[in-house]
Amino acid sequence: MLDVLLIGLSVGSILLLAALGLVIIYGAMGVVNMAHGEMIMVGAYAAVMTQIWLGWGLYAAIPIAFVLTALLGFLIERCVVRRLYGRLGDTLLATWGVAILVQQFVRLEGGLAFFGIHIEGLGPGLQNMPVPTELQGAFQIAGTSINAYRAFIVASTIVLTLATWLLLYRTRIGMQVRAIIRNPRMAAACGIDVERVNALTFAFGAGLAGITGVLVAGFKTVSPDMGTALVVDSFLVVVAGGVGSLLGAVVTAIGLGEVNGVVAAVTNDIVARAAVFGLVILLIVVRPQGLFSFKGR
Amino acid sequence: MVSQLDRRATFAAYAIFLVLVAAAPLVLDGFWLNRLAKYLVYGMLGIAVAMCWGYAGILNLGQGLFFGLGAYMLAMSLKMASPSSLQHGGQGPVPDFMLSNAEPGAVVDLCCINQGSFLWLPFRYQWFGILMGVVLPVLVAFVLGAVVFRKRIAGVFVSIITLALVLLVRLLLVDAQPLTNGFNGLSDLAWLRAGALEFDPYGTSTYYLIAGVLAVVLVGARLLLATRAGLILRATSGDPQRARYLGFDVAHYQTFFFALSAGIAALAGMLYVVVAEFASPTFMDLAFSITMVVWAAVGGRASLLGACVGAILINMLEATASETQSLVEAWRVIVGLTFVLVVLYLPKGIGGWVHDMLARWSSRPAPRELGNAR
Repeated sequence: MLDVLLIGLSVGSILLLAALGLVIIYGAMGVVNMAHGEMIMVGAYAAVMTQIWLGWGLYAAIPIAFVLTALLGFLIERCVVRRLYGRLGDTLLATWGVAILVQQFVRLEGGLAFFGIHIEGLGPGLQNMPVPTELQGAFQIAGTSINAYRAFIVASTIVLTLATWLLLYRTRIGMQVRAIIRNPRMAAACGIDVERVNALTFAFGAGLAGITGVLVAGFKTVSPDMGTALVVDSFLVVVAGGVGSLLGAVVTAIGLGEVNGVVAAVTNDIVARAAVFGLVILLIVVRPQGLFSFKGR
Repeated sequence: MVSQLDRRATFAAYAIFLVLVAAAPLVLDGFWLNRLAKYLVYGMLGIAVAMCWGYAGILNLGQGLFFGLGAYMLAMSLKMASPSSLQHGGQGPVPDFMLSNAEPGAVVDLCCINQGSFLWLPFRYQWFGILMGVVLPVLVAFVLGAVVFRKRIAGVFVSIITLALVLLVRLLLVDAQPLTNGFNGLSDLAWLRAGALEFDPYGTSTYYLIAGVLAVVLVGARLLLATRAGLILRATSGDPQRARYLGFDVAHYQTFFFALSAGIAALAGMLYVVVAEFASPTFMDLAFSITMVVWAAVGGRASLLGACVGAILINMLEATASETQSLVEAWRVIVGLTFVLVVLYLPKGIGGWVHDMLARWSSRPAPRELGNAR
């Protein structure tokens, strides 16, 4: 039973990691970023490319992926999202278009495929990211064997969630972000540069997605369309948890991860995924404002 | 003045479209007719999305659920009528995939070849499949709408619910492999027949069946939305709270049009099965549902005809692009780019843009503001 719960915890960790960036993007900016999954995908490719071109491992890939996806996120905010504030449905559609573009960029190797030039590590095929030796294997705690990589993911999630929490609740810019989450107009009236904070928030959220991508690359094959399933899951977490609520995201992600783990152990993976979807639908119907939500938005 | 011209221009646009659709078989051969029929089905999906999204203000990201349900219901009864289901020599027809998956020694009859196979029994009658193809999706939409709209769930939350629901049903469909043939879907289907009339997917009769249904749906939906109910619907999507204060039961109107839009999508699903001869879980992929929204957005979400023509044209272009190998991937880049640009610069889509252009052009002698304020 303990091993099932631990598997659930690691599933929940991935969910939380993927959702963490979205919680603040959606909460602060009212933007449904369908390209978030593609940010994760880019992070995963960054890990693969780091391995192939620089010969560095997973750990080195984490900061590289963070910087790369943060820059990409910044670019997307500047070019597309910025023009769509206040049009929630349209942000969803426009970022879906962006998602297609990012996917095709990877698939066509930045467009070079047309000229017969191929970049190793990109392209339509599947890629793999080797896991460092110390994270392969398993270790024993209380009579249960625990996969080292799963433990690593859980630990990374805890660290990143704490970092996000500190950033949101213990820094000046975090306070501004929280003010914008509560009431963007009032925040602007109080002299907060909403545009600047939004751009930084978007970039930071994208960067977190990039780190998620690196961690996902360790146990999943990397492909251009891996993002879609992840963005759906992370959205469900964000919406069910409550808009802009970090605590809601944590509780929902862990809860859904555990449901997934337990149902999968009893039946199979497909039914487990279906159970998660069903639970989220129920949650939204019963509590449309989310498990933990602020008044107002 | 403007509305007079508006009405005349709209009428002319509908007339031209319907005449073109009716005249197509005069110039096209069977292969192209079959293709065009598929695009007309997509056009119907465009109408369904435009009604739900453009008029009711409900962004349904799971329209594929209703399309898929309609498709599977009809496909089940056509599967039962297919020769391969009759070949096993038993009492009644049994779908071939059930036979190949059956455990050795199992009774070769639908009553008990596997758990749940009895659900297939009534699909021996084609009318049952057709009936269920409409009733089931509309019922699902009605129940979902009644719950969601009564609880005043709105905006992106509805989208997330429909999105999760379509993926949920898709997973269950794939998981029920012995019953639904899982990922492979239902293929090798019989032709639809009505009395002595057989609908050959490559023949003119099938084309006219689809064109006829499309015409009825398009004109019917347009007329319905022009009635008082349509007007109230638009009021509810503009400002639900104000509509409530005026005494309208917003949830009723939303549920009705949501279910109607689901019915149109289901009809499209059934016709797609007739012309394409298969039903597959890909109908319930998220990408397909969002693609429908793309068609409507590019064509014009607030215009039934715009969304319909948008869907048909985009698919035509896509088919042409996919003939050339190197263009397949590039085409998707163009789709993504078009989409971003349309959302950014033409929020009303091409249909809305044409409409505005017409209004501006017609009102040139008058002061400009008059032309813009419709």
